[in-house]
Amino acid sequence: MKRNRMGLIALIAVVAAVVYPFVFSSTEATTIVFYALLYVAIASSWNIIGGFTGYISLGHAAFFGLGAYTIALVADHLGIPGGYGLFLVALLGGVVAALFAVPMGFIALRLRTIHSFVIVTIAYLFMFQLLAFNLLGVTNGSSGLAIPQPNWSGAFFNMPFYFAALVLAVLTVLLAYWIRNSRFGLGLLAIRDDEDKAAGVGVDTWKHKFAAYIISAVPIGIAGAIYAYFSSYIYPQTVFDPMIDLTIVLSAFLGGMGTLLGPILGAFILQPAQQLLTFYTGAAGWDLVLFGVLFLVVILLMPSGIVPTIVERTRRARVREAVQKADETVPTPDANPAAGGGPR
Amino acid sequence: MFSVRRNRAALVALTASTLLLAACGSTPSSSASAGPVKIGISLSLSGDFSGDGKAILQGYQLWAHDVNQQGGLLGRKVELVVKDDDSTTQQTITNYSTLIGTDHVNLVFGPFSSLLTIPAEQIAKRYGYVLLGPAGGAPNVFAENYKGYAFVQPASVVNNLLSFGAMLKSLPASERPTSVAYATSNDPFTQPQLPPLQSELSAAGIKSVYYQVFPDETPDLTPEALAIVHSGAQAVVLGTTSVPQVQAFVQTFIQQHYTPKVIIATSGPDQGSAFSSAIGAANTEGFLVPEGWTASANTYQNSKFVSEYLAKYGGTANAIPSDAPEAYSVGQIMQQMVQKTHSLDNATLIKALHDTTFKTVQGPMSFNSNGSPVGSGTFLVQWQGGNTKIVWPQNIQQANLEFPKPAWH
Amino acid sequence: MNLVFGSVVLGILSGGIYALMAVGLTLSFGVLEVINIAQGMLVVVGAYLSFALESYWHIDPLLGLLITIPTLFLLGFGIEWAFLRPLKQDRVALSILVTYAVALILEGLMGLWFGDNFVAIHAWYVDAAINVFGLYIADIYLIGFALAIVLLGAVYLLLYRSKFGAALRATVQNREAAVLIGIDVQRISTLTFAIATGLTAAGGMLFGATTAFNANSMLDLISRLLMIIILGGMGSMGGALVASLIMLVSVDVVSVAYTPTWSTFVFFALTVVVMVVRPQGLFGAPPARKV
Repeated sequence: MKRNRMGLIALIAVVAAVVYPFVFSSTEATTIVFYALLYVAIASSWNIIGGFTGYISLGHAAFFGLGAYTIALVADHLGIPGGYGLFLVALLGGVVAALFAVPMGFIALRLRTIHSFVIVTIAYLFMFQLLAFNLLGVTNGSSGLAIPQPNWSGAFFNMPFYFAALVLAVLTVLLAYWIRNSRFGLGLLAIRDDEDKAAGVGVDTWKHKFAAYIISAVPIGIAGAIYAYFSSYIYPQTVFDPMIDLTIVLSAFLGGMGTLLGPILGAFILQPAQQLLTFYTGAAGWDLVLFGVLFLVVILLMPSGIVPTIVERTRRARVREAVQKADETVPTPDANPAAGGGPR
Repeated sequence: MFSVRRNRAALVALTASTLLLAACGSTPSSSASAGPVKIGISLSLSGDFSGDGKAILQGYQLWAHDVNQQGGLLGRKVELVVKDDDSTTQQTITNYSTLIGTDHVNLVFGPFSSLLTIPAEQIAKRYGYVLLGPAGGAPNVFAENYKGYAFVQPASVVNNLLSFGAMLKSLPASERPTSVAYATSNDPFTQPQLPPLQSELSAAGIKSVYYQVFPDETPDLTPEALAIVHSGAQAVVLGTTSVPQVQAFVQTFIQQHYTPKVIIATSGPDQGSAFSSAIGAANTEGFLVPEGWTASANTYQNSKFVSEYLAKYGGTANAIPSDAPEAYSVGQIMQQMVQKTHSLDNATLIKALHDTTFKTVQGPMSFNSNGSPVGSGTFLVQWQGGNTKIVWPQNIQQANLEFPKPAWH
Repeated sequence: MNLVFGSVVLGILSGGIYALMAVGLTLSFGVLEVINIAQGMLVVVGAYLSFALESYWHIDPLLGLLITIPTLFLLGFGIEWAFLRPLKQDRVALSILVTYAVALILEGLMGLWFGDNFVAIHAWYVDAAINVFGLYIADIYLIGFALAIVLLGAVYLLLYRSKFGAALRATVQNREAAVLIGIDVQRISTLTFAIATGLTAAGGMLFGATTAFNANSMLDLISRLLMIIILGGMGSMGGALVASLIMLVSVDVVSVAYTPTWSTFVFFALTVVVMVVRPQGLFGAPPARKV
């Protein structure tokens, strides 16, 4: 019953997203939601390792950049012109990201303390940025690389990108949903709660973490490639950008780590907020202060994120109500809401 | 019961935020044929480039004020629609596609730096708009080969330092430096300037004894500066992007008691008082910088521009950042194209862009098909007695070149 | 004078300055179990305070430390009390977010106050240099190194020769056990964070005197400082000092002997390699706490 209702709501959300660009067809409206959808995919994908297992990676922007450079280099070397074909090349970005994730995950996951893992992943990001700057022969260094552009008209231009981002977002959320409800996902959640205990009950923690790390690189690589294609030109500092990581982590935290809905909600709040903030305010400085204060308030009031907090509040309210009615009816405790709020 | 409400609440929040966005997106669009002529601009009013971005805005606003006093473009008032891009490519894309696609501005002007000009160029190309860039002259901007683009400075970036090479070669052989050290940031604006100069100087027998690229974000340039000191070069060429980078080199040079015969930096010494207060007024003596404009130049409307700038923004003529006249020139060129074609149609304007020589505060200018300028080239400015003076070429010089550079204080 | 030798000397001296900036980070991790992303910004705040004292009231930056260190001590006290103490669960993860938010607020405020222009701290000993065997060594680096030794020595004495230090070390070893034997962990935490932040004021002054900076400088700083404390071993003060020296010497030597463009990369790669061989860092205790 509940699963059906969730499915229905998900369906409505997807239909709304499909209809949206036809109702609000201005380039501004489609551009902003395009970025938000891209970040839904990125944050949901990051959540597979960061949220489900608790291994917080601050270096996943490396995969974003790898995807971006993949599409630029492949298009250039194979002479692929701008057009729908390049969206297929974007998939290669995911493959390349996964290939790089193998040695990266192998090294980083050997570090069993979370803080060492966090900091080594930061090192990854900066190492890739430096490589992009320094490997002149491959990356053209600080002068950056162009991605061939399709000759679609201005009014139509955003549409294919919007739907590419939408498809990527939906598939990534489905992937996260499937993982969360699989045996594999149960293993990941067990690692987050207590890695030793998980190993004790027979979860091969190494394989689980390693697989989750590699899987989570793929959609981010594809997203990086789509982003690069959309922005037409990439520089080392714009695609290997620490701000991308901060946005990912903040989205996931804001919405609720380890939940399915959390990263979606977080990305939809954060990404447009950032864009609109710079779009409509010119006062440099106040925007940072405002942003910082908002975060502090959210983190201190809702340390587990928006979705788990709401879930928890409604659950408590329901229990209270149930207790009040206890005289007449038997309370039906519902401790595990479908939307998330994992065991914390 | 509750679970329904909870889920609906989430959905409502989601759609509400979407609607909010859409509402913001559909700001009332102007009709293209009546009312003022709208010119869309994305500028870095916050973030890394905000200093230059704000100076460019001054130049644009001054021009808009002037053209409106003269009756506007084709009898219609000019209105600037300015959006902040936070010095990021992502916001630049959003801004220009909104300005053209949603706000339907009639014309667009360029942003600051080559970094942001490339994405702006892509959007302009997509809609067939003319894009005049006050600060997008790196080779990769021209590599896009868009006929509607023009870089409004008197020389492309790669030719920036050629006047310095010509000056050195004009020195008598006995005085001429015999060795030169090059250090440049890996920035797309500075890095391409050095190789043409190096090959020219090498051909003239001036040996390069040090040539290194450093990352633009390097917080500490002391090792690089030490290496230059160690090389003992008689001439130093710094491909710097900012005042603090020059300051870092100079600090080490002073500490090590090393004074080259001649020193030039691509950016930093052009920043007026910001430069002299950072390295100390006495230490500015003899510093060279390539420039495309000065307040005293006898160019089209220049004296009017300078006096209006000082009246509106204050300061001294020497302290006017070169971004402002570059932006003002963009306006001048647009005005001349519109007057010549009697049209605001971008396709018509693009044709006019390539068969006209324009008059600007930076001197006469015309453009190649890839947007690179054919102008009067750069000249050399030197700090002398706390002021900047043109010292090269000789036909426009305001003072003789001070050579060799005096020791640091 | 050999250029490589000169860069080694320079690396050692500036390594002392970095140690002064990094030690606050490693102390607050060891005791509070938080990763203080705001550390880079606190360095910048310290630098701006010294800059303001020097340029507005003509107070010598060294003398000004008597004002800036207590000021940052109080700031650290306030940050811990208001934002870190309330974090009960997921301290490592949440502290990253909270301190990042604090850094953003401070960055915004500094930007509003001082603008975007780069500034540098001036004093007579910044440009002066003495000649040691043909190599000119700037006074500021010598002063900085001496100051680092004095302050780090003082903290060392505090840690190993006082009752507070004994309680602090017990807390580093095992937070829960420290509570059980009656140590006021809360008080220790607040004081440690305040002391760590106060030390940062000195690091900030030296940073501002050797490098031009603005509010944005914090991003680059924090990544370097994090690498230093992880290489040294998180929580280890000696480790922070040694790792600072390794970092600055290796970066400076690679810059002059090979090329500046690869110098930072070499250090990052070195750190990752060390982490593979020795996941707890050079001087860190073997991991007792699991994820």
